[in-house]
Amino acid sequence: MIAAVAARHRGLLALTGRETARVLKLWTQTILAPILSSFLFIAVFGLSLGGRIREIHGVPYELFIVPGLVTMAMIQAAYANNSASVFQARFDRYLNDVLAAPMRPWEVNLALSLGGVVRALCIGGGLLLLVLPVVDVPVREPLVLVVALALAMVLFASFGVVVGIYARSWDHTAFVTNLVILPLSFLGGAFYSVDLLPSPWQEISHLNPIFYLLNAVRYGFLGTADVSVALSLAVCGALAAGVVAWSSWLFRTGRKLKP
Amino acid sequence: MSPPPALQLRALTKRYDSGLLALDRFDLEIPDGSFFGLLGPNGAGKTTLISAVCNLIRVTDGEIRVFGEDHRMPEARRMIGLAEQDVNLDRFLDVEETLLYHGGYYGMDRASARRRAGEMMDVFDLRAKADVRAPQLSGGMRRRLLLARALMHEPRLVILDEPTAGVDFELRLELWAYIRRLHEGGTTILLTTHYLEEAEELCEEIAIIRGGRLLARDSAEGLREAFEAQSIADVYVKAMAS
Repeated sequence: MIAAVAARHRGLLALTGRETARVLKLWTQTILAPILSSFLFIAVFGLSLGGRIREIHGVPYELFIVPGLVTMAMIQAAYANNSASVFQARFDRYLNDVLAAPMRPWEVNLALSLGGVVRALCIGGGLLLLVLPVVDVPVREPLVLVVALALAMVLFASFGVVVGIYARSWDHTAFVTNLVILPLSFLGGAFYSVDLLPSPWQEISHLNPIFYLLNAVRYGFLGTADVSVALSLAVCGALAAGVVAWSSWLFRTGRKLKP
Repeated sequence: MSPPPALQLRALTKRYDSGLLALDRFDLEIPDGSFFGLLGPNGAGKTTLISAVCNLIRVTDGEIRVFGEDHRMPEARRMIGLAEQDVNLDRFLDVEETLLYHGGYYGMDRASARRRAGEMMDVFDLRAKADVRAPQLSGGMRRRLLLARALMHEPRLVILDEPTAGVDFELRLELWAYIRRLHEGGTTILLTTHYLEEAEELCEEIAIIRGGRLLARDSAEGLREAFEAQSIADVYVKAMAS
């Protein structure tokens, strides 16, 4: 049964293999560097500021920031990997070898997205392994955590593919990281609880989609959140569905991919 | 019932978003097993035609059939092998991986792909470079790899877009010999080239196009007679002036 399905989708498997191989060949750059930089955040902010900011919502500060930093590292990796891989494939035109092949549009879309998912999982897992000896991180709501991280990866992996298709230069892909994802992650409560902000900053923070993502993941790890976890998952799910629909449309119609 | 042609274009039209009309209700039929040449100046529509057949551009109007199948269907795409004019190799893959992943994209199982990749590396003298990444290869080696990749999945229709552009004379003769053997084995070849002697030397039939329209189509001898010319170069000059 599995062999028959695999035989029908060899193109999908081959392209997924290629995307994974790209991540693993460049592992110092794609996996090790993001793990170390996120760990440094935990070491510097958590362990040094932890003495001054003892607890947030009854959670030690060095523990409070772990879910946010894991989420940030994973979504940045999923986005950056796919935007760079797709843009490079377009720029060097080796994407033509894939577009000419007998693969269905959804197979190409899925395979290109999975590279970012693999990278995000490697980084998330590696970061947790590095953090565990320093901070005892619980998983209070495993199901919520799995759903929240899955939605995060789908959302940002697909978003990376979309930006990789639209980008006309490397600057465009970096622009989204530096001026959209990173600021929204910081302002979404990666290092603090939005509940502690004065009005109107608290209300404005609720317009930030990454705020809901961070809350859902934090609830999965710590069992505490600033807003309802159902609302958080609904917002993340709606955004993920929207971006997946966008990337599917691009591959189905060939718009921006083919002149 | 006669077998379907290798390639059939009916009223193929391509207008780019910029407004440029690259192909204008273009009709063409290439019989199965033929060696067909496409000549024309830059901007004539040769690469647009090839890109349309290979699903690399959005067609504005018309129909493309490959051995009777709609060109968008996986069955049709599996029967086409393309070596593009520009070197477009995956910078992250070495020679062997380039061939293996290509085989995978075209539905080959791992064992068949490995066997065929070995054959292609032997035929194109790439074995010693099996673990060298594409950017580290010489220009000639890259050109060989492009051709090996196009033939990896054993296509019935091979499209070669200026395959000998920028290669030295020795390699050009080697590639000619290989392409001839391929054709003798029953593969249909569609070749575009700027080298008129290459078209005359290799092709059974030649089409001359300009501005997205077909100007003439015949064997080299037939074209010389029709244009009352001494050589294909003269034919080309007269066709462009007409």
